[in-house]
Amino acid sequence: MNRRPASLAVRLTVSIGVAITAVLLVFGWTVERSISNHFVQQDVDELDAVVRTLRHTLAAIPPGIPPKALRERLAEAVSGHHNAQFQISTSDGEVIYATSGPSLSQLAKGVRPVKTVTTDNVSVWRTNGETLRAAVVQAPSAVGPGAEPVTIAVATGIDFHLHYLQRFHTNLWILTAIACLIAIFATWLAVFQGHAPIRRISRDIRTIRTDQLHVRLDLQTVPAELTELVSAFNDMIGRLEALFQRLSDFSGDIAHELRTPITNLKTQTEVALSQPRDIEQYREILYSNLEEYDRMAKMVSDMLFLAQADNQLLKPEFATVDLNAEIQDLFDYFSAWAEEREVGLHLTGSPVCVQGDRLMIRRALSNLLSNAIRYTPPGHRVTANLATNDHQVSVQIRNSGPVIPEEHLSRIFDRFYRLDASRQRSGEGAGLGLAIAKSIIEAHGGRIGAQSTTGATTFELSLPLVPCGDSQSPGGFIHQFNHFEPDRPET
Amino acid sequence: MKLLLVEDEAKTGEYVRQGLAESGFLVDLVRTGLDGHHLALTGSYDLIILDVMLPDVDGWHIVRALREARSSVPVLFLTARDSVDDRVKGLELGADDYLVKPFAFSELLARVRTLLRRGNAASLQDQLQVADLVLDIARRRVQRQDQRISLTNKEFALLELLVRRQGEVLPRSLIASQVWDMNFDSDTNVIDVAIRRLRAKIDDAFEPKLIHTIRGMGYMLDAGAPD
Repeated sequence: MNRRPASLAVRLTVSIGVAITAVLLVFGWTVERSISNHFVQQDVDELDAVVRTLRHTLAAIPPGIPPKALRERLAEAVSGHHNAQFQISTSDGEVIYATSGPSLSQLAKGVRPVKTVTTDNVSVWRTNGETLRAAVVQAPSAVGPGAEPVTIAVATGIDFHLHYLQRFHTNLWILTAIACLIAIFATWLAVFQGHAPIRRISRDIRTIRTDQLHVRLDLQTVPAELTELVSAFNDMIGRLEALFQRLSDFSGDIAHELRTPITNLKTQTEVALSQPRDIEQYREILYSNLEEYDRMAKMVSDMLFLAQADNQLLKPEFATVDLNAEIQDLFDYFSAWAEEREVGLHLTGSPVCVQGDRLMIRRALSNLLSNAIRYTPPGHRVTANLATNDHQVSVQIRNSGPVIPEEHLSRIFDRFYRLDASRQRSGEGAGLGLAIAKSIIEAHGGRIGAQSTTGATTFELSLPLVPCGDSQSPGGFIHQFNHFEPDRPET
Repeated sequence: MKLLLVEDEAKTGEYVRQGLAESGFLVDLVRTGLDGHHLALTGSYDLIILDVMLPDVDGWHIVRALREARSSVPVLFLTARDSVDDRVKGLELGADDYLVKPFAFSELLARVRTLLRRGNAASLQDQLQVADLVLDIARRRVQRQDQRISLTNKEFALLELLVRRQGEVLPRSLIASQVWDMNFDSDTNVIDVAIRRLRAKIDDAFEPKLIHTIRGMGYMLDAGAPD
């Protein structure tokens, strides 16, 4: 049922062709009508003039005039009207006078007499292969016996006009047809030409391969109508390029991050096997391997989490989460560790709630807090501040410490990104914690950012606000799941 | 305690079997879903550990068949599949727990013990004792060699966990989850710090030492020295 729409060229050509044809037809019809009307009017004027003259002449003729004199006077009266023919007859059909040409007796008998000749009552009469416009009138006269009114039949040949109209008609239709064809062809040509930029853009797009994602189409060389399409395409390529870059960076990072522990394990095992050792040494090597394996396993599960987030597979189980309580719990969890590092933990602001997946939110906050505690110098403190503005909840996690330069700050949420490359293997995670926090917050429709000023670094995240009073039971599968599996490890 | 292990990956199956056997369990290991299906329905086991992805009959099928046969034997899924839908499906079909590969063996062992304990009524003793360490659960008091030791709430919860599961190696992730309800790894040594503080209070001034570090795996409370 999903038929492909007709091509643009066909659509445009058909619609413009139909419109032009209709216009030409109406135009032709109007011209023809008006010429034809004009001819009728001309004929009527002529006939009317003849009738008037004859009436005048007849009125002036004295009774009993000899027929020869009568004919002379009548012929003289209409001498200016060469085209007109007429016949004067008495009421009983006797012809008193008739011009040369076809007999008008049939006309005089068949057509009802009228008072004056007009375009409405004039009739077309055909005789002996000649077409005439004709009318019949009566006129008082002293000519006939008993001075009865006479019947005047007048006619004028219109073959000339008809021929002209016929020729005009033919020419008009030929011209109309030619004009239509030209218009349709011109339309098609214009459409084809008009689509040339689209074909060119298609050609350009086809040449963009994955290794040329930096290529952009030039907005200056496309018609105004296409700039939106082209700029949308450029934006899309931009997003693809960024994603592609991130993916290839990520793959490279994975390879690098995994290569290091694998190299360690391989070397260690080879060296261990190179000569006999006592059992304590073997045990030591196995322990050391175990730690390395743990790190790799954690990295793999973190990367899987991020891959799920990338593929939009992170589906938070939404419930009302009290951020105040979550942060308190996290402070409780981290308190011994922070105390040992001589870092104070402070929570300020008003209690706020968000809609979210409690486990995920907790994990994001935990990553941010552990990061903050780790980089706070002894004797300083980490402050978590909760605030609301409009419909947003904002959580600021702020720690004292050296300024992070802008070039690091903008990449701080990137995977495997570490401020200090030497910190890489110090056992403090794989550099995925902040990336995971970002994925979680974004899966919740929130935003996360970092800023660093003299003496303090602040991570700020914002999430949609919900009222805390609406504390629906935090059901959902995660909690049910916890019930079954209280000691679930992180996913 | 007799366990059935259905795992098609040869190395994983063998090592898990060995680990469980060395922890004192009788383990039947089968490598196909068909064998697993047969044994699960005919044998008498205290716990079944099932791989989800099996070449013939998959783990879901087996657990469904078990529950349809009105068997209430606990089932623990072992799988590389880690999507929420898979978890929900497994649990809806009647599995009791779910462990994602790669997992730590100590984690598996801890969960196996949890599931096996679930059947027996949890002991609601008021008082727990290991060597000369005495916990008064109701009044949340701790004594060692008749000396009162004052602990914070979390320290007490941690000690109670260690004592209730004495002799078991508890992975850090399990401790974080049970004591603080933190179900993820925080990339920090929070648990180590907490254990160190607890040790300072209950172990440092006394002999024998009760809390043992099992390197690479976790912590264990035991009256005797670990092997």
